[in-house]
Amino acid sequence: MNKNPLIVAQNIGYKINENKLFHNISFDIKHGEALHIKGRNGSGKSTLIRIILGITEPVKGTLENKSTKEICYLGHKNALKTYLTLDDNINLMQLTNCDMLKSYLDKLELNKYRDVTVSNLSFGQQKKLALLRVFLNNSDLIILDEPFVGLDDGAHTVLTSFLNNELDKNKSLVFTSHIPCNINSKILEIPK
Amino acid sequence: MIKKFIHQFASPKTYLYQVSRFYKYIFYFSLIIYIISIIWGLFFTPEDFVQGNSYRIIYLHVPASFLSQTLYLAMAISSITYLIWRVKLAAYLIIAIAPIGAMTTFIALISGSIWGIPTWGTWWQWDARITSTLILFIMYLGLISLHNSFSNHEKADKLLSWLVIVGAVNIPIIKKSVDWWSTLHQSASITLTDKPSIDPVMLYPLIGSIVGFFGLVICLVLLSSKYQILHREKNKSWVKDYV
Amino acid sequence: MFKLEFLKLRKKTRSWLGPILVFWLIMLAYPLTVEFLRDKLEIGFFSVLWIAILISMMLATEGIFSEDYNDGSLEQTLIKNPSFSIIIVTKIFTHWLLIGLPISILSFVFSLGTTEDLSLSLSILPLAIISSYIFLNLFVLGNALSLNKGSVLGALVTMPLALPVLIVLGKGLIAIQLDINYQSFIFLLLGSLSIIIVAIPIVVSYVIKAHLE
Repeated sequence: MNKNPLIVAQNIGYKINENKLFHNISFDIKHGEALHIKGRNGSGKSTLIRIILGITEPVKGTLENKSTKEICYLGHKNALKTYLTLDDNINLMQLTNCDMLKSYLDKLELNKYRDVTVSNLSFGQQKKLALLRVFLNNSDLIILDEPFVGLDDGAHTVLTSFLNNELDKNKSLVFTSHIPCNINSKILEIPK
Repeated sequence: MIKKFIHQFASPKTYLYQVSRFYKYIFYFSLIIYIISIIWGLFFTPEDFVQGNSYRIIYLHVPASFLSQTLYLAMAISSITYLIWRVKLAAYLIIAIAPIGAMTTFIALISGSIWGIPTWGTWWQWDARITSTLILFIMYLGLISLHNSFSNHEKADKLLSWLVIVGAVNIPIIKKSVDWWSTLHQSASITLTDKPSIDPVMLYPLIGSIVGFFGLVICLVLLSSKYQILHREKNKSWVKDYV
Repeated sequence: MFKLEFLKLRKKTRSWLGPILVFWLIMLAYPLTVEFLRDKLEIGFFSVLWIAILISMMLATEGIFSEDYNDGSLEQTLIKNPSFSIIIVTKIFTHWLLIGLPISILSFVFSLGTTEDLSLSLSILPLAIISSYIFLNLFVLGNALSLNKGSVLGALVTMPLALPVLIVLGKGLIAIQLDINYQSFIFLLLGSLSIIIVAIPIVVSYVIKAHLE
């Protein structure tokens, strides 16, 4: 099993307008490992995730990402076009790995809405649709920001078992969640 | 190497202490030069044959127009410095210069209009230089309002730098295009705006007024950049010591 | 990629039909406001035409990034595609195809209707095509700069960049009417377009990255 770290963060710090958000955070993520980022509201969890994604640059410290494939990410925003139908949105996701699409649409009870405009779906249904990005990913690193918000019990179970399954496949996972979930993970607490 | 050099000498702290040291000298030196040239220009030079006394406004108008473009150039250089080497001081300078650039451009426009009334018989003419100066003024206003609309300073600095650079490319284009444009409207005023072969008697005080005005505006820029630094780095310990 | 951008814009009828209708309305309103000039409609016609193109291009860029920014698609694109500027080129081209091109054709039609001069109107067509593309690029920059701050600020910021183009257009028109070196104006506009078409997407990609940070 390959145990080289996929992501190494050293002494990362970030501030907005000279106000420190966090500083001196170090961690690494190996293949097959999950990292649960915890912290109070406003402690900078989402910012840290954006730093891992490479969207935001840390003010101090370094972050190395050795992942060769594109990162699979889902944040607070669903990246859905509400004026398009469910099918069109799936097209827009440019999923490369579509064999399982049908079975996941069934599992998430979305199959009968395929021609419905997304604005007519409920919040939870939209979230499930957005999660298709994760279920059909083609990556070795999955990053999720509060993925369980708005999911019903069924979808919650589907997601947890899927993520555990991915971890077994030697993929890595970074996530934040206030909702308890059954994923075996390292914990990174952002101090305030 | 260059990066290290710049970072060492362009730390806001060093800058601030140097500014405090030299500020007085620059201020009094340029004030004296400007006052001397103005008095010389206003009282000790002969009346213009064609324009009478009204031409004397050049001692305000010419320096202001000259500076309105020079300041923009300074902003552009600061922007490039900021984007390439991430020098914070350069970012502070950009936003420190912008309002002063707008001010000098405004002075140039107003003094030009006042000058226009007796000489051209109109306070406004859609002529090449006036139009390009007006566009420059709008650009300054746009820059300031863009910077003010973001609460995240770093984001604002980056966006501002990009806009300044794109705008700088535009300045020669503006000049060129309006020049072509006005040559078609064969306007008589063109000869007036082109610098006449000015008599040395008027030239020396003019140069003096440009130098003096330049120095005074630099003082303003120093003051405003000082304010920017203190405002932006107010949480740093050295700022508390300084104040 | 192009197909997807096209689909997104096409399904959002308001975004592409709106600017075209505004253009249409301005051009229809023009003769109404100058009725006493009936025989000399051409005098102000082209000024109105250029300004109408400018305004409708400004409206066309209204939601070009803000929608993707607000729903999180921009982040997804940024993560997936290292060549962010190519996406921006595609976006601009799509908008031009659905808005700029119809407006250019409408300019030709209105010009023919007003001046009843076919060769003049045919010379207007390339000017309209190129200038609409230039304006679109410029306003995209403004829109990117003032992303999530409303498009008025962006328009204010980029208007000075668009003014020289208007001046060149005005001159080009005189060149057409007097039949002197019309081609040099086309080349001039094409030259600036070729610079803008490369430079603006690169700058915009940096600007948007700064926004997402």
